[in-house]
Order: sequence, then C-alpha cells, then structure tokens
Amino acid sequence: MTKSLLSLIAGTLAIGTVLWLAPGSGFGQEEPAGPPGGRGGARRGGFGGRGRAPLPPPGPVKRMADGKPDMQGYWNAANNGGAVFEVQKHPRRLQSLPAGEGAIVDPPDGLIPYTPEYAAKAKDNFENHLADEPELHCYESGLPNQMYRQFGFQILQPPGYVVMNWEFMHAYRIIPTDNRPHVLPASTKLFMGDSVGHWEGDTLVVDTTNLNDRTWLDSAGNIHSDQMHVVERITPVNDRTIKYEATIEDPKAYTKPWKVAFDFTRNAQPNYEIMEFACIEGNQDVRHYTPDEGGTAKESKKK
Amino acid sequence: MKMKGLIIAAGIVTAVLGTSTAAVAQAKGYTAPRTPDGKADLQGIWEIPKSPDKDLDGSKFIVDPPNHKIPYKPEALAQKKENARNSAANDPLNKCYMPGVPRINLLNYPFQIFQTPDYVAIAYEYIHNYRTVYMKRDKHLPDIDFWQGDSIGHWDGDTLVVDVGDFNDQTWFDKAGDYHSDQLHVVERYTRTGPDTLEYEATIEDPKVFTAPWKIRAELKRDTRPNARLLEYECQYLADEAAKKKGK
Repeated sequence: MTKSLLSLIAGTLAIGTVLWLAPGSGFGQEEPAGPPGGRGGARRGGFGGRGRAPLPPPGPVKRMADGKPDMQGYWNAANNGGAVFEVQKHPRRLQSLPAGEGAIVDPPDGLIPYTPEYAAKAKDNFENHLADEPELHCYESGLPNQMYRQFGFQILQPPGYVVMNWEFMHAYRIIPTDNRPHVLPASTKLFMGDSVGHWEGDTLVVDTTNLNDRTWLDSAGNIHSDQMHVVERITPVNDRTIKYEATIEDPKAYTKPWKVAFDFTRNAQPNYEIMEFACIEGNQDVRHYTPDEGGTAKESKKK
Repeated sequence: MKMKGLIIAAGIVTAVLGTSTAAVAQAKGYTAPRTPDGKADLQGIWEIPKSPDKDLDGSKFIVDPPNHKIPYKPEALAQKKENARNSAANDPLNKCYMPGVPRINLLNYPFQIFQTPDYVAIAYEYIHNYRTVYMKRDKHLPDIDFWQGDSIGHWDGDTLVVDVGDFNDQTWFDKAGDYHSDQLHVVERYTRTGPDTLEYEATIEDPKVFTAPWKIRAELKRDTRPNARLLEYECQYLADEAAKKKGK
C-alpha cells in the first residue's frame, strides 16, 4: 500500500465504519498509550480497547488564567445511546443500524416530537433515501449531529473563543464567547450555523441559528427544517468529563422543543493527534448502501 | 471558476475586504499586539486581496527567483505543460479536493488564525478545512502523507514559521497546472506588518521537480468588520446541486 493511499482509505473507512460499529465498542473511551509507531495504521483514539489500564480517579476541572474552565484537549462523544445511528430511542431497524436508547432525555419517551409532515419525511428517508445521508456525500453534519460524530475532536481556547476541530469531515466550530449577537441575515443558511456563546459559571452556553435544512440528525434519516434553533450547555465536571446538553426547537418540524444529553470523555492518550480526514478525495461510500452492494436503500432519487 | 459564482456569501466578504483601505500604510517597525503568553498576536480573519490562483508562474507573487518563474527541471516543465492542457478537467480544486499549501492561503476565501501556547489553528472558509500547527513538536510524522501536509511551527522573533512536510503528490499550486511531487517541502513565514496586514511568505522546495527552492510573498488583509466571521464554501454540495439542476 502506498503512503498516499492511506488518507484516502482512512476517509472511506471512516464513513463506512459508522455502519457496523456498535456503540460502546470502544470509541468514546479513554485509552492508554498505544505502541509507538502505530501512526497511519489502524485508527487510534477510540478503537480497539485491548490492554486498557484502570484509570485513576478524575481530578478537578482545569482552569484558564481568567478562571474559566479549561476544556482544551482531545475528546470523544460517549454515553449517547448510539445517537450517530439514530438520535432517538430505536429498535434495530437494519443490520447497519443497531438498536439503542438514543440521546434524547426530553420528552421522556426518547422520541423526536415530529409534526406529521416531518414524521412522514423522516419515514420516507429511512425507507427510500438512506443513500442520501449527507455525510455519504461529504457534507458537514450540522447540529447536534456533529457533536456525537465518531473519531473525536480537539477543543482549543484561544482568547475570546472556544474552537472545536473534528477529525470527522475536518469539520470545525468557531464559538465566540463574548456573548455577541447573531449578525447574519436570517436568509443566510449554513451547514454548521452561526454559533455565539457565553459563560454561565462553568457552563458554556452556545446559541446557534442560521442552520440550513440539508443536514440529518443521524444515519437513519431523521431531520429538521431550516428553522432549527439549538441551545447547547457544555459543562466540564472534572478533568476528563464534559456534560453536554442541547435543546432543539424547530416549529416547522417539531411540535415542541426536545433535548439531548450525553458526555464527552477526554482522550488522554499521550501524543494523540487528529489525522487528516480525506472524504470526497476518496469517497467510495455511497455505493455501500445500494442493493448490489448489499445495502437496502434504493438508488438516490436526487441523483 | 464556475462554482465561485454560486457563492453569494463568500462574495460579500470579498467585496467588503476589497474596499478596505485601512491597511495600505505599513510602517516598518510595527510591533504586533501580544497573546497572553507574550507571542505576536496574529489572530484574526485574513484574506489575500487578489488571488494569483489563475497562474502563479511568472506572477509578481514569486519574489525569488527574480524573473518570477518557477524553476522547473526540464522534464517537470513538460509535465506542467501537459497539466495546463487539461487544466479544467484535472485541477484538483475542480473536484473539490483539498488545495494543499500554499495554495489554500492564496485563494480568494478568508481564513482565521487562532493561537494557544501549544497550537496554532488555521480555519478556512474554503471547504471547511482547518490546519493544526503543532508548536511543541519538532519533527514531521514518519510514514504518512497528507493533502494539506504536516505543519510544525516555531517563532522567529515575531514571525510564525511553519514547516510543512509529509505532502502527497496530488495537489497543484494553481489552476494552470503548476505542480509538485511528494517531496514537496514548504516553509511558511507569517509576520504581522500592521494592524490590518499580514505578510505571508512561503519557500517551496522539491528536488524531484524544481532545480532550486523558490519563494512567494503576499500581503494579506484583515477583515475589520465588527463580529466578522467565516462563512462556508461547500464545494461538493454546490457541485452536487449544480449537477442535479443540469440533470433535470
């Protein structure tokens, strides 16, 4: 295998992996140091799980010079009930979509409170359009989907900002923390929206508007409209756990707001770095969904 | 480039930057503001006012050699001409691939620099790329290559020096087919020359393709609007939408 193929294959595998990796199989877990020289081979930072040493008790939340929580480092989404497969409570619907509790804590039934119109759209996506999953086409995941995507992310806290850089789809979020207003016109729609933040004690509160309707909530075809508004509460509780909550409202798609909650756990692997995620540069993934590739979806009607 | 016309939002940013005159004056001896750890503060949203992406070779952006020509080896020059013959079809950017370095810094799309003591992160509006510059690592990674290379940084006074290695051979320098091999090595220098100007230099070497290192220099302008932010240039999405329209 030539070196130049590695990043292509990594990207292709990365998306494909979503289809079969069971939640709890390792990603989102802290890992001890791997063997040196493992870079560029098997994916690190979440897969495997052999040789895991017991962890010492967590320490207190780290602090920046100004006293704000210091969340810098590498993190993985955890304890989200297989949200990347389906964000709501779900039975096993396909071999590629295992059963899970989902990440919805409100309403208590764990289900998205769709309007009839959007319930029908989501059902149609699942039955007929799984090959249209935006990530298969190398689009960014939007919110809150990006927050439970696999392979982890890095938080940086340069002055005035919290920056999140994901390996998956090389997506990033730039969150100013000065409580600035949203300044984009409502007609400007973005995959990742316009996020503005401020601190309430140890909680970073992030308000996101200007989201487009081209992202899904998960791999099962759950959706939102371009009226979605997301308020996130991001609270580190010790030096290796961040509690994450997001309240999602969208009067076109849902009958009432709903809420997801899960954790980010610190990836404490020494010398860990995010690798390059080449997606469109080597995307072979859409075909994996079609019948002649063993998938169940019909060919995309959008093509 | 046909896709460019589809992006209204990016155009607005470009238009606003184009009218900025605040950065024209550039005093020698300008001292950049400081980050909390005492380094020159390069943070902000930056963009080249006029991109050399149409054809870098022979442009004034090449400051060494003095004739502004890329010093190709003879057989490499033949390859560049072959690239140029089919440039629209073969330009990696027309397939929405990552542009590589320095091309991504020379496009008419802004990027934002962030600094912490251990990392410099550069977020790009162009296909939501970001680069992480590792300030506490002094060697490139073994046995791997990247579209955007591997970036390790250090400070030379108030200049951020970024050594970029581990490239693949899949990217071009411009639309005209100027290219490199996987032996490409780029040393970038970022120097703040005024409140709203950033000097960008890149020294490019590749012993398989060039007879000598060559150097580009450009002055980048800062987006000075209050609450300015990067928007999104989602190349693949726009290409898919355009193809759908064409198909119907």
